[in-house]
This record gives sequence, structure tokens and C-alpha cells, in this order.
Amino acid sequence: MKLSLIVALVGAGWLAAQSPKPSNPLGDAPAVAEAGRLLYNRSCTSCHGPDGGEGARGPALDFAGRRYFRVSEAAIFDVVKNGIAGTAMPASGLPDTDVWGIVAFVRNIRATASDLVVPGDERNGMAVFTGVGGCSKCHMIRGQGGVLGPDLSSIGAQASLNRLRDSLTKQRAIPNGYRPVTVTTLKGEVFRGVARNSDAFSLQLLDESGKLRLFEMSELRSAVFAKESLMPYGFDKTLNKTQFQDLLAMLSRQTRTKVKPTLQGENEVGR
Amino acid sequence: MRLRMMLAGACVTVSLAAQVTDRQLHEANSANWLTYNGSYDSRRHSALNQVSVSTVDTLVAKWVFHVPNATALQTVPIVLDGVMYVTQPNEIYAIDARTGRQIWDYHRVPARQKGPNRGVAIWRDKVYFTTPDAFLVALNAASGNVVWETKLAEASDGYWSPAAPMIVNGKVIAGSAPGDHGLNGFLDAYDATTGERLWRFNPIPKPGEPGSETWAGESWKAGGGNTWLTGSYDPELNLLYWGIGNPAPDFNGDVRKGDNLYTESVVALDPDTGRLKWYFQFTPHDVMDWDAVEVPVLVDAMYEGKPRKLMAHADRNGFYYLLDRVTGKFLHGTPFVKQLNWASGLTAAGRPILVPGVEPSLLGTKVCPAAIGAANWMSPAYSPETGLFYVVAQEGCGIANKSTETFRPGGFQYRATGDVEVRDDSWKVYVRALDLTTGKLKWEQERVGSTGFGGGLLSTAGGLLFSGELNGEFVALEAKTGKALWHFYTGQRITASPITYSVNGKQFVTIAAGSDIMSFGLLK
Repeated sequence: MKLSLIVALVGAGWLAAQSPKPSNPLGDAPAVAEAGRLLYNRSCTSCHGPDGGEGARGPALDFAGRRYFRVSEAAIFDVVKNGIAGTAMPASGLPDTDVWGIVAFVRNIRATASDLVVPGDERNGMAVFTGVGGCSKCHMIRGQGGVLGPDLSSIGAQASLNRLRDSLTKQRAIPNGYRPVTVTTLKGEVFRGVARNSDAFSLQLLDESGKLRLFEMSELRSAVFAKESLMPYGFDKTLNKTQFQDLLAMLSRQTRTKVKPTLQGENEVGR
Repeated sequence: MRLRMMLAGACVTVSLAAQVTDRQLHEANSANWLTYNGSYDSRRHSALNQVSVSTVDTLVAKWVFHVPNATALQTVPIVLDGVMYVTQPNEIYAIDARTGRQIWDYHRVPARQKGPNRGVAIWRDKVYFTTPDAFLVALNAASGNVVWETKLAEASDGYWSPAAPMIVNGKVIAGSAPGDHGLNGFLDAYDATTGERLWRFNPIPKPGEPGSETWAGESWKAGGGNTWLTGSYDPELNLLYWGIGNPAPDFNGDVRKGDNLYTESVVALDPDTGRLKWYFQFTPHDVMDWDAVEVPVLVDAMYEGKPRKLMAHADRNGFYYLLDRVTGKFLHGTPFVKQLNWASGLTAAGRPILVPGVEPSLLGTKVCPAAIGAANWMSPAYSPETGLFYVVAQEGCGIANKSTETFRPGGFQYRATGDVEVRDDSWKVYVRALDLTTGKLKWEQERVGSTGFGGGLLSTAGGLLFSGELNGEFVALEAKTGKALWHFYTGQRITASPITYSVNGKQFVTIAAGSDIMSFGLLK
């Protein structure tokens, strides 16, 4: 009885030894991923594009519309270290520490913001959102806020951290359905807002007070579309460093609906 | 840049956009279509008359909105101030009701695949709908932003919710499905502002509660009684009327001896408390899956020389009923289909007089109507101008079998068999016009070529009755005579009920056909 128990325990230990579960010894801190990005851009861009984009001979590594076969840390490590037999993907020949750095980078660019540990105080971030940042004038989170901009209740599960940061700091393209427009009716009334939709014959305006106004073009004297989004940018300059980081952290944790599944395939070897 | 600054400054946190008030819901302004059946009394009769007996020959298609990946839409569009809201399971689309152009869309993720969905409710600045994963979701009507969501029941138990909710006194009334899995149903009220649950009515009483004596042994535990279609409301009496679905298991009543209250009943509830005021059971101890959820239509009319508050109801079991909606008293009942063999009539109290042996059996018994019923969820209509009650009536029988089955939790079928429809020459679908108080047939129009019910009905002050057929024809009948005056072949199976509304003085008639929303108006 006792002996069989011991055998069973030894057996379990042996099995465990046969299926190691490697994880990135460097961790997943942003600095690790950033160091990995530099390594990647130095070592991988003769085929893949810079920063994980599409290259002349290799595919993009972060294309949202693609379902990647190798997603776990172990699987990506294996591919970078050993290559993929029968394809143009070679073994990198890099030391393991560098390979792990690249693994951290690839995982990072594929992750939504909510997959990452973004340092910052969520409550302070919400205070910035509704207060000094002015975000809630146009954006809604969980039913609180304005309607002129996109709802952000799930933005952490929809956008990568880089996209979130870019949205706050850089001027970006106008998202579909949010082009600012000023219309003047034949009677001379003027309405401003965003065009939720429009074509040559009609225009569906969400006006600045949050009211829908629907026009046929024949009822309008003019419809002047703006070239820039209503979304302000440069928050990294207008907010202080703590405020900005807290806002980013808060947004990264907005996951009412998980639009993209969280990173999957942990501890699998994908070959 | 200047525009941007101006606009950013002007954004507001509280929308003062087009809003539906309680008064609007009570008065049912004909320019809008604000509730599932057009008004609280569920008459589906519009005062709009631009499209009429004399103009309908110039009715033409104005626009088509395609609902991506839809197949057999059952959505009833809701229209407020030129904005239309249509649904399919997990999805809402806000559309410009004049042009068909999309304003916003909402997609619930992850999407549990269960259907159909029959539409939204609207109140103040929000629209409400229920989902295949048994949530009630409130969205900002102008933007589609989710304001709150509340879980109705556990989807993992098998619950979901297809019916359009109803708003009464600032409460969202929402019900449950399915009917055939042995899951006990409910009807809930939620605070329309916060989503907090205010009351729950349990159609299956628990031991000790009134009505529990109508369930043998422990059969109440898997008794069914779901609420998968929208009911009606009388603001003056402050009574909510809701149809309750079948008992479970559907086809074998041996394990649930008794009348099985309140399945196959209409219940009248106090909408402020959820308390039962009265009930009337159409099919006691049903064994044919004849859910009594068919829309109760509220009419004030003369009955036996006195003005009465009436409820008209064409039941899946084949009888047309007239009730006093103040007390629930049975006034009159008569078959509205010719093929009805399970009961020889109704007693003075409205209880069916059963024909012995006409019920599901091990070897199969011919029962008429079939389990799908003489009527079903496709809405009836009532015109105060003709005094006629219009119903989609199906003639047909089924060979009904029963078996023994054990309830399994988790949303599995608990039907104990069913029926095989007898699809011979006698299987036909009609639009029938019944005299409101006598139930006598005034006219009928066969839905030629339709093998099933199809869509519901819409009556208008233009003297028309609109009817969507399963074979794809969208038809305008003369309300007085049933004569077909206009038709449009949609090319898709119609399984939804039509509506009408007007924008800037132009009347539109709209129906969901297959995967498309189609809207019609006069040529000029």
C-alpha cells in the first residue's frame, strides 16, 4: 500500500519532469518588451516588417484579423530559437536571453491592453477621465459620460496598449461614424456634431447635445465635414506624468465585454 | 481645429435627445410605433390613413436594410421621431426610418446562439432588449452605448429571453424562455433607470402557495410556464396582462396530474408589485404544448347591451375567447378553426369539455389543432372601425405521441415526445376576421402557398389590413372584406409582424422579411 503510494508519487514527479512548463525568465515588464522590440528590429526585419508589421518575406506578427497558431511563450520561444522546418523561417541563432526578449515583444504587440500589467492607479485614472482630462464629456464608461465619442467600457479588451497611448498622445485618423460635420438647413438652421453615417442622399447626425438629427441632403444648404477628429491629443503634455499613467492604467482595465480573447495557449508547445 | 474646440466644449454628459415619455406610451401617437404591438392595448391598429384603400395601388418600396447574417427575422421595429430600432439575437440596429441608413449597431459579445429576438422597448433616452444569454440590456438610444445590463437568469441552466420587453410605469417588464425544457418561467420588473429588479412573478406556484395544489407531487419543480411573448397593459385599471406558456413535460401529463396553474393562462398582475389579481386558464392540464402566450387584445366595446372592458384572445388551442378584463370572467368562447377535435365546446365558465381519448398516446392519436397550434406568436389585430378581430389561423392536425422522459437540468428538451403534422390538403393557413363579441367568421383570406403561419397583422385607419405571408408575399387586404388590394413579393420568408409610422407627414409601412427590413410608402 505504502509502496504503491510512493511509486505513484515518483511516477507523478517523473511525468512532471517530462512536460516542462517554460515561462519567460525575464518576466513581462514593459521594459523587457521594449528591449525585445529593439532586438527584434535588429534581428528579424530582413523578412518581417519593423515593429512586428508585415515584411517583404515574412508575415505580420500582430495582425488583428489573423488567428495565430503559436501564441504561448513556449511556442514563440521554440519558433524563434529553432525556426520552422520546411519554411523560410530560420533558427535565429540568438542566445536564449535575447530570444526571450523577442518573445516578450511579440506577446506584447499581440496583447490587448487588458492582457498587460499597466502600472497606475485606476481610481485616480477615473478621476482624471471625469475631471481634468475632460474625457467623459464625450466618452462613456459603464453608462456614465457623453455619447459623442465611442463608448470605452471595453476599450482595454479591444485596443493594444500602444493604440491606447497613441490615441491619447497623437493625432489619429477619424474612426468610422465619428467625422465632425456642420450642416446648414435650407431654412438656415445650423447643427454641429458627428456624422454617424452619410452618403450622397442623406446624413445621420448626432448633434453636440446628443440628439440624433436625420437629414436628406436635399434638405440641406451645406454639410461641411471636418478633416480632423474631435478627439484631443497631447495628453502626455497637458496632464502630469502620474495623471497620464493613471488614466492609461484605468483605460487598460476597461473590459466589460471581452472582444478579443485573452492570450491563450499558455504552456503549450505549438509545433 | 476651431470646430473641434467648439464641439468638444459642447459635449454633454446627459443626453436630452428625443425621449419617450410615459404619456407617449399611453397615447400611442400614430407617427411613432413605440411598443411591440403598437399600443398598450395591443390592437395593432394605427390612425395613419395616407396609405388607404384608395391610394394603396401606388405603394412602393422605399428602402431595404439588410441585417447581416440574419435568416428568419421576427423583429418588430420600434420607431421614435424618425429613428427605427430593429433586432436580431444579440444585435440591435438603429436606422434612419426615412432612408434605411444605419445610425449605430450593437453586437453582444460573446454571442450565445439562440433565437429569435422580437425587438426592443423604448423609454426616455434608452432602448432595452433581452438576450440569448438571459440578460436585459439598456442602451442609450442616440448612440447605442450600453448604460447597464442585468442578468435575468442563468444561461447555463438553459434560460434565455426572446420577447420584446414592455415599459410600464418606469419599469421594464421582461420574461423568459424556453418553454419546452422543464425550466420554470418568470416575469420580472426592473427599474428602467437603474436595472434593479423590483419584483418577480413565478407562474409556477411553490408548495403552499395558491395554485400549488394543481401540481401532483414534485412535478412543479420542472413545470415550465414561460413568458416568451410580450403582453398588454391597461393604464386605467393599472393591470398588466401576460400569457403563460405550456407545462412540462409538454406531451405527457401523467407525471403532473392537476390543472397545472398558471400554465396556459393569461394572468393579470399589478405592475407595481407583481401581485396576481386574477387569472384565466385556457387549457387546464395541457398535453399539446399549446402555449397561451398569444397576444391579449384589449378592447372597450358593448357586450350584451353594456359597455365592457374586454379582452380578446385567439388561443393556440383553437378557441377564440372574450373575457372581462376587470375581473377575468369568461364571457364567450368559440372555435376559430374548423379542425378542432380535442374538446366538444366550452363550459359556462370557459373550461374546455374534453373529448375522451383525444390526447397524445404511445401509438399516436390524431389531435386537432396540431401542437404548433391554431394561432401562435404572430400578432393579431383589431380595428375599431370594422369591429373585427383579425387573426392568423392555421387549420391542421398532428399525430401526437407521448413517452416517458426524465428532467435533466442544463437546458435539455423535456417534452416527452410531440406530434407529426398531417400535411395533407387540409393543412392551410388563413387570415380570418372575427366579429369581436361573437367570434363569428366574417371573412377569410387563404395564405395560398404558405406551409406555415408566416407573419402577423397590422390594421390601419386607411381601411387596410397588412399581412406578411410565409411564402414571401407582403399583402394589403381590405379590412372590411378581406379582398387583396396590393401585394409585394419580398423574395424571402416572412415571419414577423408589420408596423406603420410617419416621418415629416409621410406614412411608411414596414416589415422584416427573411434577412431584410423593408419599408414602403406612396410613390408621391
